[in-house]
Amino acid sequence: MTLTALKYKKIENQIDNDSAELIFKRKELIEQFVNRKEFNSIYIQELDFIEPYTRIIDEYFQNIFAKSKIAKEMTLKGNPVAIVALGGYGRAEQCVHSDVDILILFEKKLPDNTEALVKEIVYPLWDAKLETGYAVRTIKECLTMAWEEFDILTTMLDARFICGGSHIYSILMEKFRTKLTNRYTHTSLNRLIEQSQKRYTDYGDSTYLLEPNLKSGHGGLRDYHNIVWYARIVSDIKCRRDLEHYGFLSHDEFKTLENSLNFIWTIRNMLHYIAGRKCDQLHFEHQVELARILGYKDNNGHKAVEIFMGELHSKMDFIKQINLMLTEDIQLSKRARIFTALKRATNYKGIVVRERRLEFDPVEMIPHNLDLLLKIFVESGRLKKPLSIEARRVVGEFSYLIDDKFRKEPSNVEAFEEILSYSLWEFNVLNVMLTTGLLAKFIPEFSLIINKIQYNQYHLFPVDKHSIRCVQVINSFRESNTKSSKLDKISGSLSQNISSSFDESNHQNHLYAEICKELRNRKTLLMAALLHDIGKGDPAEEHSERGSEIARKIVMRSGYSQADIDEVVFLIKNHLFLIKIATRRDISDEETAVFCASKIEKIALLKKLYILTVADSMATGPKAWSGWTEALLRDLFMKVMGVMKDRELATKKAAKTIQRKKEEVLELSSSIALREDSYSNDSTKLLIDEAKLLKELDSMSHRYLLYVSAPEIVSHLNLYRQLQNRDFLWKITSEDNDNSEIRTITICGKDKPGFYSKLAGVFFLNGLNIVGSQAYSFGNNTALDIFKVMPPKDKIFEKEKWQKAEREFQQALNDDSFLERLTDKLPKTIAPKSGHIPMPNEVRIDNETSSFFTVIEVFAYDFPGLLFAITNVLYKLGLDVRVAVVATKIDQVVDVFYVKAIDNGKIDDPKRQEDIKSAILEALPLITN
Amino acid sequence: MKKIEAVIKPFKLDDVKEALNEIGIQGMTITEVKGYGRQKGHKEIYRGAEYVVDFVPKIKIEILVKKEQAEEVVNTICKASNTGKIGDGKIFVLPVDDVIRVRTGERGADAL
Repeated sequence: MTLTALKYKKIENQIDNDSAELIFKRKELIEQFVNRKEFNSIYIQELDFIEPYTRIIDEYFQNIFAKSKIAKEMTLKGNPVAIVALGGYGRAEQCVHSDVDILILFEKKLPDNTEALVKEIVYPLWDAKLETGYAVRTIKECLTMAWEEFDILTTMLDARFICGGSHIYSILMEKFRTKLTNRYTHTSLNRLIEQSQKRYTDYGDSTYLLEPNLKSGHGGLRDYHNIVWYARIVSDIKCRRDLEHYGFLSHDEFKTLENSLNFIWTIRNMLHYIAGRKCDQLHFEHQVELARILGYKDNNGHKAVEIFMGELHSKMDFIKQINLMLTEDIQLSKRARIFTALKRATNYKGIVVRERRLEFDPVEMIPHNLDLLLKIFVESGRLKKPLSIEARRVVGEFSYLIDDKFRKEPSNVEAFEEILSYSLWEFNVLNVMLTTGLLAKFIPEFSLIINKIQYNQYHLFPVDKHSIRCVQVINSFRESNTKSSKLDKISGSLSQNISSSFDESNHQNHLYAEICKELRNRKTLLMAALLHDIGKGDPAEEHSERGSEIARKIVMRSGYSQADIDEVVFLIKNHLFLIKIATRRDISDEETAVFCASKIEKIALLKKLYILTVADSMATGPKAWSGWTEALLRDLFMKVMGVMKDRELATKKAAKTIQRKKEEVLELSSSIALREDSYSNDSTKLLIDEAKLLKELDSMSHRYLLYVSAPEIVSHLNLYRQLQNRDFLWKITSEDNDNSEIRTITICGKDKPGFYSKLAGVFFLNGLNIVGSQAYSFGNNTALDIFKVMPPKDKIFEKEKWQKAEREFQQALNDDSFLERLTDKLPKTIAPKSGHIPMPNEVRIDNETSSFFTVIEVFAYDFPGLLFAITNVLYKLGLDVRVAVVATKIDQVVDVFYVKAIDNGKIDDPKRQEDIKSAILEALPLITN
Repeated sequence: MKKIEAVIKPFKLDDVKEALNEIGIQGMTITEVKGYGRQKGHKEIYRGAEYVVDFVPKIKIEILVKKEQAEEVVNTICKASNTGKIGDGKIFVLPVDDVIRVRTGERGADAL
């Protein structure tokens, strides 16, 4: 081995040592960082990682550069090199797994041995598993590329000299400044804004999202970078501190910014560490662990992770607000030249429009006219013009003056209601009111839910933002009357996958717009929307219940009328009612709708509750709102609406009648129990159990309770209880007056298709003439049919005849074919009694009377077996008879059947309706003269 | 092995899940689906405008079981999703050729 080779070997070893030193120091630093005993807020404030880590890397470059023979050679040949840090490394904000970006800079020409230099200084970093990016450029190349690509321009803004020829770096920065940023300031700023807009759509708003992107989301570190870039483009700041020194931020703002940044950096570094790679999206799986590492504890029913995320969101929100303000500054400074300082008056003295922003003028008016703090938001909403940065600060600073007297003042309440109704999707007055702190001052209870995170898969937004979104959604319904595009925006800002379901439901948005248009008093709805989750601030209780109590106090303080108070309270208390019913109850069951209708009572209230439910779900996120949920909810709404309009089952009067009847039944059964106590009959004993009785009564249909008398109900109940495991039980009674020729047969049995038609068949088979009948569903899966029948002509063996019919009915139930040939016995023609001119047979099908059943009405000339003829056809067509009312007037019979198709729905298909009609008519005999 | 697919009414999901847990079935896939059977949707009228429900929302449950267990699972779903009314849904039983657990590469009944 020659001497030179040995020397080289030695140098190589030294190079290895340099990277080994870097690896060692980095490891040590990371361990020191993650092994802190606890991370309290002070630790976070004094975050001691990103700068030392940057220094370690700097040292590496400096050491290796000092030893580099190639670099020396370059200098000797008159083409020296400079090593420049770019991007985050340039800002000295290096995180655990951040990329190391460097620029290898030459003045005019790239020397031939550049590659060897790269090998020497960059490769060891790669071997050390540090993600390293490098660019080799001349000054001219740098400038051209920065001009052409904005990303390169921004990394250059962060450029920081590390080692080598410092004068090359100085020339670059000088030219960069004179040729680019100074000359094209506005173009650069515009591109900065454009780029952020694109980033927001790509990454979403981190201050809302439950899995925020720490770097790229709105409110993420990139927003802070934007602030720095902006400041560097327009001025010459050197470091972060200069943001305050150069007057971009106030002292307090800068302090809060530092604090927020350190918090996010701590989390980002820790996330990098536990993920083992560069990772900026804070996924659920890491949140719980991070909260634990950072020392958050469950507190007062709030989960540690929720407190942690709440704090993170508020920090990110601050960064976002600062960035927004500066962005507005940029846009303003451009227009300022055109609009100068011209000011225009508004509806209120003391508030003016200047440079398209609302301002207080003069500010001194505020202490004596505190209402201006609210009025400026009213004007902002009305004119769709934002508040100036200064105005926002002023609102924030004066809001401490707001007291209960201010909150109770009717004109202030009115102003706030106006603000609520102005809070639109594209122009969000409420959000600005929230960030200035005024909202929480006007409604102090609201502060309980600010940045309150809900740690579950459904909610994408903290409670306060979600509540405001809910108000916005409702307002957009009203606005989106013709255009549905605005609502699509909501979905767009949520996530991509929801938009498909939104497309499908443009039609639905029309429905919401229609309903909103009909509402007369919208303020209760908007107030309920804003406050619907206010109970979530108190995790100890069920939030709807608790929220309605809190809201009651708020609206009482605001001087609402009793009716309005009741409405707000009802809406909040029941804001989950419809969605729960829609997903957890059988909405094709009429009883479900009747239950909802009796609870809600008023149609206007139902509409409000429906809109609130929809808006709440939409504002929650795609997991809570899909075309699937929407279909269920709308179906329920329509059906409850139908029941309410029908004014039969769910009216107050009906409710009273039913209540009275229940009481009557209770009374009757206990008196029967007393009277029959001496017999100590099993069946009567059962009846004294009041709780059980009430439960049974609740399971019965409203229709039944409304139309059947109390004594009858008692006797039916008796039958029902004796049924046990039998297929059916029947009971025959004669009408009270002895001369009557009518028998009442009450049959209680396990409901199955054909139950009713088989009964009619058995009566026909035995020559028993049916004069009337009613069919009900009784409790769960049980049919209760009542037949009024003429007794057999030969009364001597009446009892035996009934027993035969009973046996035959059992046979018919067991064997479907038992009654098959009975249809042959139906008459083909009948001749009307002389003197009668019968009406022609007619079948009417009505789908409008009920949301649940198709109503079939049959008008026909009476003959023995008529009921069997009709119901047998219905059974064969797969229709289930749920309610039947059969009545005979002289010879003309009117039979009404409430039927459902096999899949539990109405029959909408016109062809199917025609088939049913003709099948029934065919089964009826021809009338001959 | 068998795959059991059941399409049931949404509100019956909890009952079915509970009943299946009771017989020791723990894993299942649930999907919110929409569909129609013999009856092609229905329509509602609000202020003269028709709102057609083309597809009725349902829940689809998918379960993989050993052949011997299939009958019990089917009966359990049937019983739990039965409201006594027609239109309670349908259950399909399909043969399954093989099951592979991605993590371990286990196959057949071991991977269930």
